[in-house]
Amino acid sequence: MLSEIVAQYSNDAALTAGSAHTGSSGLLGRDFAKMTNDLIFDLPNTQDPAEFLNTYTDVDSSADNQIKFAHGTTTLGFKYDDGVVICTDSRASQGSVIASQSVKKVIEINPYLLGTMAGGAADCQFWERELGRRCRLYELRNKERISVAAASKLLGNMVYSYKGMGLSMGTMISGWDKMGPSLFYVDNDGTRLRGDLFSVGSGSTFAYGILDSAYDAGLQKNDAIELGRRAIYHAAHRDAFSGGSVRVYHINEDGWEFISLTDFDDLHWDYTDRANRAT
Amino acid sequence: MSIMEYNGAAVVAMVGKNCVAIGADKRLGQQSLTVSTDFPKIFTMTDKTMIGLAGLATDVLTLRDQFRLKTKLYQLEENRVIEPQTFANMVSSTLYSKRFGPYFIEPVVAGLDKHDKPFICSMDTIGCINFAKDFVVAGTAGGNLYGMCESLWEPDLEPEDLFETVSQALLNAVDRNCLSGWGAVVHIITPDKVVTRSLKARMD
Amino acid sequence: MATSSAKEASFSPYEDNGGTNLAIAGQDYCVIASDTRQSRGYNINTRFAPKTFKLSDKTVLSTAGCQPDGNMVVTRIKQHMESYKHAHNKEMSTPAVGQLLSTMLYMKRFFPYYSFNILGGLDKEGKGCIYSYDAIGSAERVPCLASGSAAALVQPFLDNQVRNCNQVGKPRIMAASPVSHLSLDQAIKITKDAFTSATERDIYTGDNLQIFIVTRDGVEEQVHPLKRD
Repeated sequence: MLSEIVAQYSNDAALTAGSAHTGSSGLLGRDFAKMTNDLIFDLPNTQDPAEFLNTYTDVDSSADNQIKFAHGTTTLGFKYDDGVVICTDSRASQGSVIASQSVKKVIEINPYLLGTMAGGAADCQFWERELGRRCRLYELRNKERISVAAASKLLGNMVYSYKGMGLSMGTMISGWDKMGPSLFYVDNDGTRLRGDLFSVGSGSTFAYGILDSAYDAGLQKNDAIELGRRAIYHAAHRDAFSGGSVRVYHINEDGWEFISLTDFDDLHWDYTDRANRAT
Repeated sequence: MSIMEYNGAAVVAMVGKNCVAIGADKRLGQQSLTVSTDFPKIFTMTDKTMIGLAGLATDVLTLRDQFRLKTKLYQLEENRVIEPQTFANMVSSTLYSKRFGPYFIEPVVAGLDKHDKPFICSMDTIGCINFAKDFVVAGTAGGNLYGMCESLWEPDLEPEDLFETVSQALLNAVDRNCLSGWGAVVHIITPDKVVTRSLKARMD
Repeated sequence: MATSSAKEASFSPYEDNGGTNLAIAGQDYCVIASDTRQSRGYNINTRFAPKTFKLSDKTVLSTAGCQPDGNMVVTRIKQHMESYKHAHNKEMSTPAVGQLLSTMLYMKRFFPYYSFNILGGLDKEGKGCIYSYDAIGSAERVPCLASGSAAALVQPFLDNQVRNCNQVGKPRIMAASPVSHLSLDQAIKITKDAFTSATERDIYTGDNLQIFIVTRDGVEEQVHPLKRD
């Protein structure tokens, strides 16, 4: 069964020509095999599609029918001796309106890979889902898991080919592979950085403040997790566009593990109680 | 971003049975940065009249001082306490005096007149008064507040019920607005006393 | 001699036809409702232009915003569901339609549909199920939702009455939980209240309220009058 699937997808000609695979009428009216390699986006019939889009989506634009995409975030990730900690808030805002307090900004690409979401929610969701599909194909073709470096480069290359078109995405790709723990920052202008500690989004400066004051590669697992949670908590408190609840993940050699999801309200009164008791 | 959204605010006033309530959030921000979570936006003008100022914080402070001066001068000259209606007209003309370079403030006035009849009103930035019989709102969470008030308000609420209604309207409205919240305060003005309560709110 | 240079007329394909929609999910039902006013600026085009459409016995889609774009979304979703049915010999599940709609909206990333959609129905376990979208397909499952022209007015009311936000002593429904604890009758009552209030303050909402109730037995449709001013 597995080899059948591998055979179906490991033929490169089938992928590019779009003729070998003739399945059902296919998603979005286009042949599925073609879809898998060349995503075809509908474009407005103007000289400069990107400029057209800006008219309607730029925050400073004065067009009548503004399309407000979901935005705003604090996310963070850091490597330490025992693995990687990933934390995010869960707020999505459209202008000054809070569109959602329950966004899942950690995307589970596969059991060993996590992606985070900052910037345009739809951009991150779509491209990281697409990344998940490509990582799975890599696994089927090569009979081994994709490395974090390769996965992040796939994502970087995908969004780089749309540079200047207005994609908005600041993401961290992190996981565990043969090399051990890895953490990459990838964004919409094609930047791809390897690092030990990143924070992305409107509240990132606040999170960096907390992280830098207590980060140490030799941290215990519980302390590392608590540091991540506190950093998001403080960012959510000070940054108007972050909030909702704090979501925590941990990655070690067995893959990622979901740690907790705590409503900011509960966390805040818990922290204030603890501070009051301490004094 | 509009200058009216620079600091962020939510103000609401409601009429009850022989009482009025006025409430506001506590945030002072600079766009996305929350600078203070204890910034008053409602000010006592007389024993039974209060004003809530939503908009640009620097103008909140300026107008607060100006209205305080004017109400005190009125009291000295007339030897009586200013009525909420009269006060509202004074606020309106103060705002209109800056018609072509306005204060970036939307005021809300709430009070009981000399017969202890409830009075509330709101204004735009240049002093056009909206006399309402039920409730008035202002600030960055204005839309949310309208929705809440329209659904929760009913005529002739007793002071305690009015407090609950205003509080629920305010808290749920600011929870869907990025730029306001971080605590709230509600004043209930009744013929014999003013009750002020701070509300425990989400701090994000 | 006058020289004429080519000038591109500004391309403005969008129009806001207003309208509000709302959905509440329960343990074994889903309520999806919208008003039926269709407006253009300060004018009303028609007082009865349904925005909510039955897609199958367990899925309903509601669209507000630019009416032609919304209609196109509905038409294409129906096409896909039909071809899915013939290819797989079964009806598409609501979560599957949810993901399809997200992808469909994103394929218009650079020329978005000006359409604010709510997808509602029952999931495979028979629980109520609502998906929330932005214009380009960022999707999320939520217990209750308002969108369209009066979303800002209705959403905090739903948070308060459906999710018990800020209600001391009542069990709070987390924003991330899939369904509310309300009974169907309560949900319908809240829906009607929300629309009467929205109609008072939002000029783009009014005329009639169309409610779709999805249960195990199928989809029931109700129409109630709203204020027409």
